[in-house]
Amino acid sequence: MASNAAVPFWRAAGMTYITYSNICANLVRNCLKEPDKTEALTREKVHFSISKWTDGKPEKPTLRSDSPDE
Amino acid sequence: MVIVPATTGQMGAELKPGVLSVHEGNETSKYFVSSGFVFIHANSFADIIAVEALPLHQIDANLVQKGLAEFTQKLSSATTDLEKAKAQIGIDVHSAFNSALTG
Repeated sequence: MASNAAVPFWRAAGMTYITYSNICANLVRNCLKEPDKTEALTREKVHFSISKWTDGKPEKPTLRSDSPDE
Repeated sequence: MVIVPATTGQMGAELKPGVLSVHEGNETSKYFVSSGFVFIHANSFADIIAVEALPLHQIDANLVQKGLAEFTQKLSSATTDLEKAKAQIGIDVHSAFNSALTG
Protein backbone atom coordinates (compact mmCIF):
# COMPACT_ATOMS: atom_id res chain seq x y z
CA MET A 1 0.00 0.00 0.00
CA ALA A 2 1.18 3.53 -0.59
CA SER A 3 2.62 5.33 2.38
CA ASN A 4 1.27 8.82 3.02
CA ALA A 5 4.36 10.89 3.59
CA ALA A 6 3.30 14.43 2.72
CA VAL A 7 -0.07 15.76 3.81
CA PRO A 8 -2.03 17.57 1.10
CA PHE A 9 -1.66 21.37 1.26
CA TRP A 10 -5.25 21.91 2.26
CA ARG A 11 -4.98 19.58 5.21
CA ALA A 12 -1.78 21.28 6.26
CA ALA A 13 -3.74 24.55 6.28
CA GLY A 14 -6.28 23.05 8.67
CA MET A 15 -8.99 22.15 6.17
CA THR A 16 -10.86 18.86 6.23
CA TYR A 17 -11.45 16.74 3.13
CA ILE A 18 -15.15 17.51 3.16
CA THR A 19 -14.51 21.26 3.15
CA TYR A 20 -12.02 20.76 0.31
CA SER A 21 -14.51 18.65 -1.60
CA ASN A 22 -17.30 21.18 -1.17
CA ILE A 23 -15.09 24.06 -2.31
CA CYS A 24 -14.08 22.06 -5.40
CA ALA A 25 -17.69 21.21 -6.18
CA ASN A 26 -18.71 24.84 -5.80
CA LEU A 27 -15.95 26.04 -8.14
CA VAL A 28 -16.85 23.39 -10.69
CA ARG A 29 -20.51 24.41 -10.67
CA ASN A 30 -19.59 28.03 -11.23
CA CYS A 31 -17.79 27.19 -14.47
CA LEU A 32 -20.71 25.62 -16.26
CA LYS A 33 -22.66 26.84 -19.24
CA GLU A 34 -26.33 27.65 -18.89
CA PRO A 35 -28.78 25.93 -18.34
CA ASP A 36 -26.59 23.37 -16.55
CA LYS A 37 -25.33 26.07 -14.23
CA THR A 38 -28.68 27.05 -12.76
CA GLU A 39 -29.51 23.38 -12.37
CA ALA A 40 -26.24 22.78 -10.57
CA LEU A 41 -26.71 25.74 -8.25
CA THR A 42 -29.96 24.22 -7.00
CA ARG A 43 -27.87 21.30 -5.77
CA GLU A 44 -25.96 23.62 -3.49
CA LYS A 45 -28.94 24.59 -1.40
CA VAL A 46 -29.33 22.96 1.98
CA HIS A 47 -32.58 22.65 3.86
CA PHE A 48 -32.72 21.64 7.45
CA SER A 49 -34.93 21.74 10.47
CA ILE A 50 -33.46 22.46 13.90
CA SER A 51 -35.07 22.04 17.27
CA LYS A 52 -33.54 22.81 20.62
CA TRP A 53 -34.16 20.38 23.43
CA THR A 54 -34.94 21.55 26.97
CA ASP A 55 -35.92 19.32 29.90
CA GLY A 56 -35.83 16.29 27.66
CA LYS A 57 -38.40 17.70 25.24
CA PRO A 58 -37.90 19.27 21.83
CA GLU A 59 -39.07 22.81 21.29
CA LYS A 60 -40.75 23.92 18.09
CA PRO A 61 -38.40 23.29 15.18
CA THR A 62 -37.11 26.05 12.96
CA LEU A 63 -36.71 25.41 9.25
CA ARG A 64 -33.73 26.83 7.46
CA SER A 65 -32.83 26.96 3.81
CA ASP A 66 -29.35 28.24 3.38
CA SER A 67 -27.52 29.09 0.20
CA PRO A 68 -23.85 28.42 0.56
CA ASP A 69 -21.66 31.27 1.64
CA GLU A 70 -17.88 31.21 1.22
CA MET B 1 -6.21 1.94 -19.02
CA VAL B 2 -4.29 0.21 -16.28
CA ILE B 3 -5.18 -3.00 -14.46
CA VAL B 4 -3.30 -3.58 -11.27
CA PRO B 5 -3.13 -6.91 -9.42
CA ALA B 6 -3.22 -5.51 -5.92
CA THR B 7 -2.33 -8.10 -3.28
CA THR B 8 -5.29 -7.13 -1.13
CA GLY B 9 -7.69 -7.58 -4.02
CA GLN B 10 -9.18 -4.19 -3.26
CA MET B 11 -7.95 -0.72 -4.00
CA GLY B 12 -9.23 2.72 -3.37
CA ALA B 13 -8.14 6.25 -3.91
CA GLU B 14 -9.14 9.78 -3.16
CA LEU B 15 -9.90 11.84 -6.27
CA LYS B 16 -8.83 15.35 -7.13
CA PRO B 17 -10.46 17.62 -9.72
CA GLY B 18 -9.88 16.20 -13.17
CA VAL B 19 -11.07 13.99 -16.00
CA LEU B 20 -12.46 10.54 -15.53
CA SER B 21 -12.73 8.43 -18.68
CA VAL B 22 -14.94 5.41 -19.00
CA HIS B 23 -13.90 2.92 -21.67
CA GLU B 24 -16.58 0.63 -22.97
CA GLY B 25 -15.49 -1.47 -25.90
CA ASN B 26 -14.37 1.06 -28.47
CA GLU B 27 -16.15 4.02 -26.93
CA THR B 28 -14.83 6.41 -24.33
CA SER B 29 -16.93 8.81 -22.29
CA LYS B 30 -15.16 11.54 -20.39
CA TYR B 31 -16.44 13.27 -17.28
CA PHE B 32 -14.98 16.03 -15.22
CA VAL B 33 -15.17 15.17 -11.52
CA SER B 34 -14.83 17.77 -8.80
CA SER B 35 -13.52 15.38 -6.13
CA GLY B 36 -14.51 12.12 -4.52
CA PHE B 37 -13.38 8.55 -4.10
CA VAL B 38 -12.87 5.47 -6.20
CA PHE B 39 -13.06 2.00 -4.74
CA ILE B 40 -12.07 -1.07 -6.74
CA HIS B 41 -13.50 -4.35 -5.55
CA ALA B 42 -11.90 -7.75 -5.68
CA ASN B 43 -14.07 -8.68 -8.67
CA SER B 44 -12.73 -5.69 -10.66
CA PHE B 45 -15.87 -3.62 -10.30
CA ALA B 46 -15.10 -0.01 -9.49
CA ASP B 47 -17.34 2.35 -7.57
CA ILE B 48 -16.82 6.02 -8.21
CA ILE B 49 -18.27 8.47 -5.72
CA ALA B 50 -18.10 12.07 -6.88
CA VAL B 51 -19.79 15.18 -5.65
CA GLU B 52 -20.01 16.62 -9.15
CA ALA B 53 -19.36 14.71 -12.37
CA LEU B 54 -20.27 16.33 -15.65
CA PRO B 55 -19.68 15.69 -19.33
CA LEU B 56 -17.00 17.98 -20.72
CA HIS B 57 -19.31 19.85 -23.09
CA GLN B 58 -21.01 21.51 -20.12
CA ILE B 59 -17.86 23.44 -19.24
CA ASP B 60 -17.76 27.12 -20.17
CA ALA B 61 -14.24 27.94 -21.34
CA ASN B 62 -14.57 31.69 -20.72
CA LEU B 63 -15.56 31.20 -17.10
CA VAL B 64 -12.60 28.84 -16.68
CA GLN B 65 -10.11 31.45 -17.92
CA LYS B 66 -11.67 34.14 -15.75
CA GLY B 67 -11.61 31.87 -12.72
CA LEU B 68 -7.98 30.91 -13.27
CA ALA B 69 -6.93 34.55 -13.49
CA GLU B 70 -9.00 35.43 -10.43
CA PHE B 71 -7.53 32.69 -8.24
CA THR B 72 -3.98 33.27 -9.40
CA GLN B 73 -4.43 36.85 -8.30
CA LYS B 74 -6.01 35.74 -5.00
CA LEU B 75 -3.05 33.51 -4.24
CA SER B 76 -0.61 36.40 -4.53
CA SER B 77 -2.75 38.57 -2.26
CA ALA B 78 -3.55 35.84 0.28
CA THR B 79 -2.24 36.27 3.81
CA THR B 80 -3.41 33.39 6.03
CA ASP B 81 -2.67 29.72 5.34
CA LEU B 82 -6.39 29.11 4.87
CA GLU B 83 -6.71 31.86 2.25
CA LYS B 84 -3.68 30.50 0.44
CA ALA B 85 -5.13 27.00 0.52
CA LYS B 86 -8.46 28.21 -0.88
CA ALA B 87 -6.73 30.16 -3.63
CA GLN B 88 -4.57 27.15 -4.45
CA ILE B 89 -7.65 24.95 -4.68
CA GLY B 90 -9.15 27.47 -7.09
CA ILE B 91 -6.03 27.34 -9.24
CA ASP B 92 -5.97 23.54 -9.18
CA VAL B 93 -9.62 23.23 -10.21
CA HIS B 94 -9.36 25.74 -13.03
CA SER B 95 -6.07 24.30 -14.30
CA ALA B 96 -7.66 20.87 -14.33
CA PHE B 97 -10.54 22.35 -16.34
CA ASN B 98 -8.05 23.80 -18.79
CA SER B 99 -6.33 20.45 -19.28
CA ALA B 100 -9.70 18.80 -19.68
CA LEU B 101 -10.70 21.25 -22.39
CA THR B 102 -7.42 21.13 -24.28
CA GLY B 103 -6.35 17.50 -23.65
